[in-house]
Amino acid sequence: MADTEGCADREAGPSGGLALRVSGLTVRSPRGRVLLSLPSLELPGGTLLGVRGPSGAGKSTLLHALAGLSAVAEGTVRWGDTDLSRLDAEGRARFRADQIGMIFQDFLLFDELSAQDNAALPALFRPRAERAGLRARAAARLVGLGLSDTARSVASYSGGERQRVAIARALAAGAPVLLADEPTASLDRAAADRLIADLTGMARAAGTTLVAVSHDERLIARMDRVLTLADGAPVTGAQAA
Amino acid sequence: MIALWDSLPVLAQDIAVTLALLLPGVLLGAGVLRGFAPWPLVRAILWRFRGPSVLFVLLIALSVGMGIGLLAQERGLRQGTAQAADKFDLIVAAPGSELTAMFAAVFLQPSDMGLLSGDTYSAIAAHPSVTLAAPLAFGDSFGAASIVGTTADFVRHLSDERIEGRLWRTAEEAVVGALVPLEIGGRFAPSHGTGDAAEPDGHDGHESAVVGRMAPTGTPWDRAILVPVEAVWEVHGLANGHAPERAGQIGPPFDAAYFPGTPAVVLRAASLGASYGLRSEFTRDGETMAFFPGSVLAGLYRVMGDVRQAMSLMALVTQGLVAASVLLGLFILSRLFRRQIALLRALGAPRRFVFAVIWSFSAVLLLAGAAGGLLTGLGAAQLLSAAVTSRTGVAVAAGLGWTEIQFIAAFVSAGLALSLLPAALVLRQPVIEGLRA
Repeated sequence: MADTEGCADREAGPSGGLALRVSGLTVRSPRGRVLLSLPSLELPGGTLLGVRGPSGAGKSTLLHALAGLSAVAEGTVRWGDTDLSRLDAEGRARFRADQIGMIFQDFLLFDELSAQDNAALPALFRPRAERAGLRARAAARLVGLGLSDTARSVASYSGGERQRVAIARALAAGAPVLLADEPTASLDRAAADRLIADLTGMARAAGTTLVAVSHDERLIARMDRVLTLADGAPVTGAQAA
Repeated sequence: MIALWDSLPVLAQDIAVTLALLLPGVLLGAGVLRGFAPWPLVRAILWRFRGPSVLFVLLIALSVGMGIGLLAQERGLRQGTAQAADKFDLIVAAPGSELTAMFAAVFLQPSDMGLLSGDTYSAIAAHPSVTLAAPLAFGDSFGAASIVGTTADFVRHLSDERIEGRLWRTAEEAVVGALVPLEIGGRFAPSHGTGDAAEPDGHDGHESAVVGRMAPTGTPWDRAILVPVEAVWEVHGLANGHAPERAGQIGPPFDAAYFPGTPAVVLRAASLGASYGLRSEFTRDGETMAFFPGSVLAGLYRVMGDVRQAMSLMALVTQGLVAASVLLGLFILSRLFRRQIALLRALGAPRRFVFAVIWSFSAVLLLAGAAGGLLTGLGAAQLLSAAVTSRTGVAVAAGLGWTEIQFIAAFVSAGLALSLLPAALVLRQPVIEGLRA
């Protein structure tokens, strides 16, 4: 199904995550320059979408817009029944806390904290009643990702281990959406391959909607669909190929 | 309300003021932290930026310490000097500066003073309200110790009769202050003059034996050697205050005709009212001046108070500048962890939680700085006190008082309130820029 210009289809996974509907999305820089223009994008829940393109193509900008982090946005970004464009900054933060897990290129962990504390970081700002459950899920995710000795500081972890801690953090809250920004860029090949398997495997198992921005063709190859961007706009099928 | 306040004990008032000063900070903290547990993150940020954090704590500690040290030192000095003057109810001296006379008689600071005649002394000593009239005679020394001639009754009064050994019986015996480096049974030869101007051979042939030692008084008299006033006069080749037929007498009554003169007489009266009467009676133009050392000190404190107010104003301005620097520094410091702040926002942390993290970070630095300032201030005050005590003999005890505690409480509350500012400013930074930082 080619529902969006520039978006190539593969077989979609089981639906468990939120569906995405983007319409007339334009993101501008504070000076007004158009950073991203995406007329439409529709993903069923549980789809794994790979976003690729050269540097400066607007990949991260798209990810930030999907997360509701972009301050300057036109158009609508709808996750399930929630239109992010209608929420204020605090509402979007609340939505991220509940519905979106984020993974970053350089992990963004607190080196001074243990793997367990990093994975359970969102527990610090969740309602008191949810904290124990979130910590338990974070611990289970770490085990599921093959990490042991999670009481020690992540400063001593390898890059691959650190990114797995970041994945555990993203999944700890049970978010139906995962947004990953170049998740393998800081890893060696072996670690990247393992991470790709972990990330896509867990997303598929949970039916999570995954949007992964990446230059890594091995990761892109594991996605259900691929969106190619260039100069802040989707590239048509022929160009994308 | 005012009556109720006035009816409270001083301690209760001090505690109430301290709590009132702390209350805004406590309420602020409770409000900012309500529902959150940011401490693991605060600890992590503190550890990551431990170098700049320690520097900030030191800066705050020094700034607070200066304020604490000055307050404690000034109060200690006031208490020490007041205690030193405690045994000197009323002093009669030749007309001149009361301050000079007080420094000479109470604090044993050498100065040129006029002398009271034998007739004047006799009139004072014979007054029915006077229970003690001790002439003082200065001018000699042994090492760093001033030698003061006086009467045995005054030594009893000064030491509250806490004397190891005994009082003198002859003009060749002496009682030493608690800190004088002479043992009972030791002997010394007085030098003429004091300090650098002392002439060790000025009184050749004269020697005295130490027969007693006063218990510590916390006054410059702890470093003095007390001898019969007759001894000082005789050593200087003067009459010894007694007619030749009673040349061996030590102590009053003195014979006016053989009284060489005294720069000051320390008086005790039967009552406080009598003291005021004596002051009026012996304040005579061109003849004598009588004054309460306590009143002179109070006047001095008033002048010092004015200076203190000026210094307080300067200190306040300095504290303001330091506070501004600290705020600016906290803002700069918080920019160091803008990525972590942006991460929290990206993960969906509410603004209030992020605000609590930054504010808590500032609060920890402020509280650690305030605690460090307390220790620094007390340490500095102790050092200064030891220096002042060593130079003057006045026991200055600069301890922690309610003024210092309240100063700290006010600083902490104000600091915690001001810390809202950098926390609010950091929150205005764009999340995406922070993630890319």
